[in-house]
Amino acid sequence: MPQLGESIAEATIIRLGVKVGDVVRTDQEIIEVETNKAVMGVTTLCDGVVSELRAVEGVSYSVGSLLGLLEVTEAELVRTGVESLEAIDERRVTTSQTAGPAQAESNLHFALDDDAYEEAPAVVPSVKGLPVPTGVMGAHYISPRMRARMDDLGIREADISAIAGTGAGGRVTVEDLERFLDYLDTWPSSQASPMRLAVADAMRRSWTRPLATVGLPILLDRLLDHRRNQSPKPGLTLYLLRAFALALTENPTTAGYLIGDKVVHPRSFDIGVAVQVEDGVVVPVVRKVDQKSLKDLVSEYDDLVDRARRRRLTEGDCRGGIATVTNFGTFGLTTGTPIPLPNETLILGVGAGVKKPVWSAQVEAFLPATEADLLLTFDHRVVDGGGAGVLLNRVSELLQTPEAL
Amino acid sequence: MLRGRILENKLSSLYKAGKIVGGVYLGRGQEAVSATLGTALIQGTDFFAPLIRDQAGRTAFGEPLIDCTRTYLGSVKGPMRGRDGNIHRGRPDLGMPAMISHLGAQVSVVAGMLFAKRLQGTLAGRVGATCIGDGATSTGAFHEGLNLAAIERLPLVVVVANNQFAYSTPNDRQFACADLVEKARGYGVGGFSVDGTDMLACVSVIGEAVRRAREGGGPQMVVARLLRLSGHGEHDDGSYVPAEARVDHYGQDCIEVAMQQLIENHFATAEEIVAWQDQIADEVQRAVAQAQQEPVPDPYQEDWTALSTRFPLDQPISQPIFS
Amino acid sequence: MSVTYIDAIREAQEKLLREDDRVFLYGQDIATFGGAFKATKGLAEKFPNRVFDAPISEDAMIGMAVGAAIEGMRPIIEMQFADFSSVAFNQIVNQAATHFYRTGMPIPLTVRLPSGGTPGSGPFHSQSMEGIYAQYPGLVVLTPATVSDAYHMLLDGVALDDPVIYCEHKFLYRWLKAKSINGDHLPIGQARITRPGKHATVVAYSAMVHEAVRAADRLVQDGWEIEVVDLRSVKPLDIDTILASVARTGRLLAVGEAFPWGGVTAEVVARVTEEGFHLLDAPPQRLNARDTPVPYHPKLWAAHRPTPESICEALRKLLSF
Repeated sequence: MPQLGESIAEATIIRLGVKVGDVVRTDQEIIEVETNKAVMGVTTLCDGVVSELRAVEGVSYSVGSLLGLLEVTEAELVRTGVESLEAIDERRVTTSQTAGPAQAESNLHFALDDDAYEEAPAVVPSVKGLPVPTGVMGAHYISPRMRARMDDLGIREADISAIAGTGAGGRVTVEDLERFLDYLDTWPSSQASPMRLAVADAMRRSWTRPLATVGLPILLDRLLDHRRNQSPKPGLTLYLLRAFALALTENPTTAGYLIGDKVVHPRSFDIGVAVQVEDGVVVPVVRKVDQKSLKDLVSEYDDLVDRARRRRLTEGDCRGGIATVTNFGTFGLTTGTPIPLPNETLILGVGAGVKKPVWSAQVEAFLPATEADLLLTFDHRVVDGGGAGVLLNRVSELLQTPEAL
Repeated sequence: MLRGRILENKLSSLYKAGKIVGGVYLGRGQEAVSATLGTALIQGTDFFAPLIRDQAGRTAFGEPLIDCTRTYLGSVKGPMRGRDGNIHRGRPDLGMPAMISHLGAQVSVVAGMLFAKRLQGTLAGRVGATCIGDGATSTGAFHEGLNLAAIERLPLVVVVANNQFAYSTPNDRQFACADLVEKARGYGVGGFSVDGTDMLACVSVIGEAVRRAREGGGPQMVVARLLRLSGHGEHDDGSYVPAEARVDHYGQDCIEVAMQQLIENHFATAEEIVAWQDQIADEVQRAVAQAQQEPVPDPYQEDWTALSTRFPLDQPISQPIFS
Repeated sequence: MSVTYIDAIREAQEKLLREDDRVFLYGQDIATFGGAFKATKGLAEKFPNRVFDAPISEDAMIGMAVGAAIEGMRPIIEMQFADFSSVAFNQIVNQAATHFYRTGMPIPLTVRLPSGGTPGSGPFHSQSMEGIYAQYPGLVVLTPATVSDAYHMLLDGVALDDPVIYCEHKFLYRWLKAKSINGDHLPIGQARITRPGKHATVVAYSAMVHEAVRAADRLVQDGWEIEVVDLRSVKPLDIDTILASVARTGRLLAVGEAFPWGGVTAEVVARVTEEGFHLLDAPPQRLNARDTPVPYHPKLWAAHRPTPESICEALRKLLSF
């Protein structure tokens, strides 16, 4: 049954114009059919003899159905270019073997059987199951959906690093997150303080950079001697602060900040000092440390530290530093790897002083001395080990002449 | 005619004073044709789809002056409420559809209005008319519309004001037949020619065409020869119109011809005409003054929807620009 | 006994002619011949002087319908093929679509567009014009995908006071059969969840709904549950149902048979990205016909438009993101 018009699926045989054994000529109308649109004749493609008639008058056949067969000579096939039934069958086999289901499905609607199409029942839309974030505007890949849910919950990337993802490529899905949170509900927990969250946020942001730490031992004896004779007495950290500032004036780009293809240089040698407070750390900044003598700095420093401990710092007190000094020796620690603030490239740390025998070349004997570890953590994008070494050695050197600070 | 001319002179003046939003398009020189058509039609029964140069016809058909001044001046009280302007106004509910800028498009619309009346059984005695220019006869829409009206044998009168220029394009770049009226025969519709500068001739010929259509004679086409006595719009000085065209017979001003005809035939005296002019000028001034004092559209008050149906689930596609 | 998609269209027109004096049909070859697709078969006999053969003047047919609508009628205009409506484009988008906004008088006319491809129809008898008309303010654009929708949406469309572009898919005319026309139906402007699922949403309309359902059936064996949303009307667009579905699945594929540049699928993706970005687990995807005229040969044609196969492929890609 030929395709007798667009959108025609089937046609009904009205009259068979030939019977088995009849000789037919090319382009002879041999079967009269009726479609939904018109009555028309089915013609032959070549001369031949009707060998079989499958079509029955009054019956409808779908497009592509076999209505009958002609016996045709090889010469006639060659003359008219008509494919033989064997050739068609052969092609069908090869096509289905090579193309597989792809071919079969490409013309979907031809494949539909005559069974009446069942319309799917209407489904009432509702958001079920998962709590889907709907009001928010606003590991590896985190989808907008996952991001919105995390924002809803105040959760950061770092928090989901412990979750085994079940999504595409092992990514953590909203479902994984919800399961993890349900699991955490079975553990005891408490509310984090705003201070804790602020420190966490600063450290998380800082940790996005390649940080490296180097260190060397320094002798504190001269410094301690010098301090003993001062009134008011500068803290150990203040000596470090001053030495650090002076060393940085000689190598300012060491404290530079890398933004895109630019190194931003220090505008003023303002240096912060880490002060441990309850459930956190604050870093007030001492201004223009390079331009003030140790003596002048004492009261300013003491005031900042005092206010820090009493939680009376203003926001301005903590802004604009180019580096930080931390004295974790006050906790009895001898070494560590301090982390700079996210907006700073350097942090200088000092451990607790320890009495040690130190070899003196002058007297050719071990002498007792107070030694501490001096550590510098730096953003390796900006500074290398060499630059850090130069800076650290210079600080160490300056600390050996405390009277010059 | 006079009302149309005086109103349009005022519009031209307002345009030059910067009071008008958008362009001003005048029918200067076409008043005789337009007004006689408008007069031959009966508002409330007939349909009239005016085009760009039909102020006189609109007024003759019954459009109040205030509709015109409100639309030109952007009053929110006008028929288009600031959503469309100038000659694109209409009162489809009163049998006067609002033209679109695409020429020839109104022919089939008027045919459809008449077709509806036939289906409703109230076509008898009714006529629909539209005006177009020489340029519009080149469009497919003109051809399709007139052909359709002819097939349906609708009482449609198409008045072609051949003002010799479509914007700046002269007749010889617009059509190749000797006379546009020849096209009527091709469509199987009645054809008439008239001197568009001669008011009495227009009254007679256009009146006859309307009568034939009204009496069941099918579509009629009148070709009126005249000259546009202004630019395409007031932004255009019409400098491309050659001097010879201005001084030949069709370059005469139909208003002056009409005044002379009125006096010669004792329809009116010169004094009466002067009195009419004063009275009309006064009416025009009042319509302008009123429209000028009326509010212009407020984007915050607009509902910004082009559909009359409110779909509960349809959200605005984007925020209104002024939100 | 079953009802085909085109039967439903014919039945709806018969009901309209029977019940509403304002309705008349105007189109090429639609009177005694019954239309190129027989969508008006027998109607001219049943309703004398209500069903008219039009000259081959698509522009004038719509202009005439606008005029008739102004005077209180509800004309239904049959374009012989959606493709030919380009000749009437001016009257549709400039006359009919602007009329209510400009004058305050709505134009209740319905244009029937036999749309979409069938094998061997070629570049000028296969087009899908819904996106073009939806772009213009002032038109309602309907794209029924089921037999019952074909029936009810034509009735509801003619009942609207605004101009309606009714896109009926030629491919569905006789291939799509239902046991009967459902009594209950959704209002215009509301989409339907044709197939519930939870892993991805396919938004489709017209014939593509069926292709999408077939694709979804095939993916079941891989454990994927695909939700299929039938837009039903592309304008107004039921963004709420789409967003609710994407909220469930987090993934969106919009499938259309029209050309790929812009159009309905682009609008769906844009709206979801704009209003439901936070719902997405993967970049929303589109699948359309190719960016060439619709080819003539069935083999080319079948590869030009989305198929269950290409929809499956697009879904697998989407699900693996």
